[in-house]
Amino acid sequence: MNYIFALIVPVIFLASFAYASFKKVKVYDSFCQGVKAAPPLILSIFPYIAAVMMLTKLFEVSGLQARFETLIAPVFNFLGVPEEISPLILMKPLSGGGSIAVLTDILEKYGVDSYIARCACVAYGASDTIFYIGAVYFAGLKRKKLTAALVISVFSYLCSILLCCLLCKVM
Amino acid sequence: MNAIFSFLFIVSALIMLFIDPAGFLSALVEGAGKSASLCIALLGTYAVWLGLMRVWEDSGVSAGVSRLLKPLSRKLFKTDDEQTLTAISMNLSANLLGLSGASTPYGIKAAQLLDKSEHAEYSSAMFFVLNATSIQLIPTSIIGVRTALKSAAPADIVLPTLLTTAFSTLLGVALTALFLSPRRAVQKRGNFLKKREAGSR
Repeated sequence: MNYIFALIVPVIFLASFAYASFKKVKVYDSFCQGVKAAPPLILSIFPYIAAVMMLTKLFEVSGLQARFETLIAPVFNFLGVPEEISPLILMKPLSGGGSIAVLTDILEKYGVDSYIARCACVAYGASDTIFYIGAVYFAGLKRKKLTAALVISVFSYLCSILLCCLLCKVM
Repeated sequence: MNAIFSFLFIVSALIMLFIDPAGFLSALVEGAGKSASLCIALLGTYAVWLGLMRVWEDSGVSAGVSRLLKPLSRKLFKTDDEQTLTAISMNLSANLLGLSGASTPYGIKAAQLLDKSEHAEYSSAMFFVLNATSIQLIPTSIIGVRTALKSAAPADIVLPTLLTTAFSTLLGVALTALFLSPRRAVQKRGNFLKKREAGSR
């Protein structure tokens, strides 16, 4: 099963490059043009990742994180979600860079292949940065009746978190 | 985000004043240093996938995918405008690859175009839900981070992620179609008018 999943990515690349050559695309030039777009993209998210990582470190050494986790633990335990990933779940709807910072912290702390880490990875992928998208995509538009859509998104997100913790237990 | 950031920062800093003032700066520097190495790892991941996406664009695969997605987006967003549908399709393809950073420019364009469309309220809501619950075929960023941290099986989380994200997206789309569909809104308004008429009589 894992072998089949490992095959997906190389097959995608192989097929794409073969097809592009067949279509007489200058694959090397084209690929490099694409790579060129990566540094500006990373540069644009670096400030947010850096700021949140500084904050999470401060949050951790000041002992606030431990207190916060014990405070919120009953709710998460009741739902079957490990409380260790609670910072990630609260951060993800707000900021993509911030949540990948929190995710990396969790992976380092609990071991990258542990149940908690896997749970965190799946929870990270479960949905996107709901509030951030609302702010950036729909900034400056006239019609701003997104409340219903916002509620639906957050509800779907929370439901998928429950599913994710269940799935990580069995898979 | 601004309020949360300043609140948490101020409270943490205040506590640090009492327990360990010397550790304050080193905590900040350590956090910033970690973010730099994370960005290097992400830079590698983005370089690989953005390169591939450009090859797709140049060889006509992206256009093909857009064409495939078009009937579906036409139905979902209830719009026929070619330009809007193209922007939506490009946004969705980048999301499918787990590159939410790369999908943003197309997303902003699509949102602006949808705002002018016929059923703007419904289409915008649907577009928002679809992006917010973001369906992902390959969670490339997560695999990148896991590889950087030397996971034994970085792609281990692909299947559960796919199931979870598909679930959240389907649920969101279903709820949006159920509650916000324009036909239903018209019907509701009709019922309301009827009721009002009955009341005034």
